[in-house]
Amino acid sequence: MILMEELTKRYGESLAVDTLSVEVAAGEVCVLIGPSGCGKTTTLRMINRLVEPSEGRIFINGEDTRKRPPELLRRSIGYAIQSVGLFPHMTVEQNISVVPSILGWDRSRISNRVHELLLLVGLDPAGYTHKYPTQLSGGEAQRVGVARALAADPPILLMDEPFGAVDPLTRERLQQQFLSIQKELRKTVVLVTHDLDEAVRLADRIAVMRAGKLVQFDTPERLLASPTDAFVRSFVGADRALKRISRVPVTSMMQPVKTLVRSGDTLSGDVSQVPRFAWVTDADGRLLGWLDTAQSRSPDSVFEIDAAQVEYLTVPDSASARDALSRMLGQGVRSIPVIDESRRLLGEVTLRSIEEVTAE
Amino acid sequence: MEYPGPSRVATLGSLMGVASLALPWLTVRSSRLAEGESISLLGTANTLTAVLIAALWVVVLALSLRPATRMNAYALACLGATLLPLTLLTAGMGAERLLADAPAVARASLGGAVWLSLLAGYFVLHTSLSALKDRPCARRVLMLIAPGLILLLGLLGAFESLALSAEFTGNEQRLARETGRHLALALGSVFIGALIAVPLGIAATRHRRTERPIFLIASTIETVPSLALFGLIIAPLAALSFAYPALRELGIRGVGAAPALIALILYSLLPIVHNTYAGLKQVSPAALDAGRGMGMSNRQLSWRVEYPLAIPLIGEGIRTATIQSVGNTAVAALIGAGGLGHFIFQGLGQAAPDLILLGALSVIALALVLDTVARSAIKMLTPRGLRREGD
Repeated sequence: MILMEELTKRYGESLAVDTLSVEVAAGEVCVLIGPSGCGKTTTLRMINRLVEPSEGRIFINGEDTRKRPPELLRRSIGYAIQSVGLFPHMTVEQNISVVPSILGWDRSRISNRVHELLLLVGLDPAGYTHKYPTQLSGGEAQRVGVARALAADPPILLMDEPFGAVDPLTRERLQQQFLSIQKELRKTVVLVTHDLDEAVRLADRIAVMRAGKLVQFDTPERLLASPTDAFVRSFVGADRALKRISRVPVTSMMQPVKTLVRSGDTLSGDVSQVPRFAWVTDADGRLLGWLDTAQSRSPDSVFEIDAAQVEYLTVPDSASARDALSRMLGQGVRSIPVIDESRRLLGEVTLRSIEEVTAE
Repeated sequence: MEYPGPSRVATLGSLMGVASLALPWLTVRSSRLAEGESISLLGTANTLTAVLIAALWVVVLALSLRPATRMNAYALACLGATLLPLTLLTAGMGAERLLADAPAVARASLGGAVWLSLLAGYFVLHTSLSALKDRPCARRVLMLIAPGLILLLGLLGAFESLALSAEFTGNEQRLARETGRHLALALGSVFIGALIAVPLGIAATRHRRTERPIFLIASTIETVPSLALFGLIIAPLAALSFAYPALRELGIRGVGAAPALIALILYSLLPIVHNTYAGLKQVSPAALDAGRGMGMSNRQLSWRVEYPLAIPLIGEGIRTATIQSVGNTAVAALIGAGGLGHFIFQGLGQAAPDLILLGALSVIALALVLDTVARSAIKMLTPRGLRREGD
């Protein structure tokens, strides 16, 4: 979808970008990452011609980007930057409406689109359409920025450290939002960041750059498992194993468990088949707690997991192996149950299974 | 609750007010040109009034030294609003009494005490009102009481005997005409100046190379004293109008409104160019990058983002230029352009201080009115999202 061919950008004597060739497939999230000054932002800005390449070409869907006037090109590419750049004199609605109104959409279509986009980024339209940028928090402004970038439904989205200017908690929420939006919309995204955790979390493929050159272009798994040279190895960091398992969903590595079922006052199930500390569910398969079968077989002795403890004694099915590991270490246990939204027990993750995954 | 009442200014004001008790309140002269005789407070007012005024100032002094509370602020504001019309009323009545048996050409002018206590009263009123910012209604009422009462008293004829009034009644028609001319010159010059200066300011931001020469020229013009600039324009303009009779038909001659207008236009350039430049420069670069990145053309970016965001500063520049223009136009009367300066220079020529005062006060009043109008206009034109809290 986006083909960058031998891209070079020269400023006087120095090369900001040096014969970069990258292809981004349609629907893929490609993250450009590297140390400061490696040329990742310059590369991004060459895609929408905010910076003109000194040499090399960029093709979008086979068409050379130099063919059309830059303004027209940019209207079909979403652009979101770190400082957001919302127009202070316009409301949230007016900000988001900018590109659609330039493209000549009619009023009702635009206002429906604004409504739809605010819901997509997790903001209540009734509360936000009439607000001004000065009334928004950092996280809210970032979301509006993303909504604005998506307004005309462009197939391509360019993002320059979009989640950099907020606190870590908000950043994680925004990243989560991004992943769910991307799952739904399947845009072709080129995202620049300096945060490797963010790259590992969001990318389908990561392009590591250094001094203007492309050093490695791989999926996060392959990048973490086999860094090509010393630079990438040190860039990726010594705890690549942990980073790797953050991409492994628990559902892909959990093991089935035999459980005991408690209905009312009775406890049923084959005690010989379950481990010493057995999980106890209700008749519908919902996790109630656990029982030390060596101590007692009575339903009253079931150690119940109440609502407050669920968060750290279990992992949801949307979690990663890293979350499971973190919880096990935190609780000092060797296994942890995986539950779905209705608290139904789906399986179990053990320390041993995590070791096996990491060893691959 | 502690109020950040700057009562030190109120204290200063009250000290000035107390001091004014000792200064001359009126100057009476048998004719416009004669030597004047100073009249003290006791000569101007009866004992009761004199004691009342003195007492009020002492009370104000005492209040200003106490900790600043809301009650204090209200009390000071009321007292200040009372003392202003009271001072003028006293002077007016005193003048009437003193001139009762005098010939018609006799004049009673306001003395230093009155001016000092008016200033003092203004200090007290203004600072106590600033402590009441959270009560806009009460504040507005208190602010308008003093000028309102003074106006009412004026209409009722309380100030008829003052020399200032005499000058006024003698020149009413001329005053109206010259005010019209003054407005036309001041506002017209700013309007034309803005038409030139705003594009120049825009050019200065867009093209680096024009920035220096534009500012250099505008600043240099600004440093030339107004009378000198008028003079510099007179000769070439006279030569032009001599060479081209068509210009003379239009009324463009070496002296008069034409050179004044040209000079005033030139003066209004710098504040407007400077503020236009600053206004455009302070537009958030992130907003401009985002705008360009989303596909706005240069023209769309300028008109939909840059210019609206620069309006508040450009407006301030025009406001500054307007007030400046009102002041400079007063000098234009000297070269035959008319305007309220006429009274100032006539008063100077005839050694009639109250005529000078008439002209000067009119110019000041005009400037204040235009300033208020300009501020409201700027507020209305500022895009909603940019208005600060409390605007």
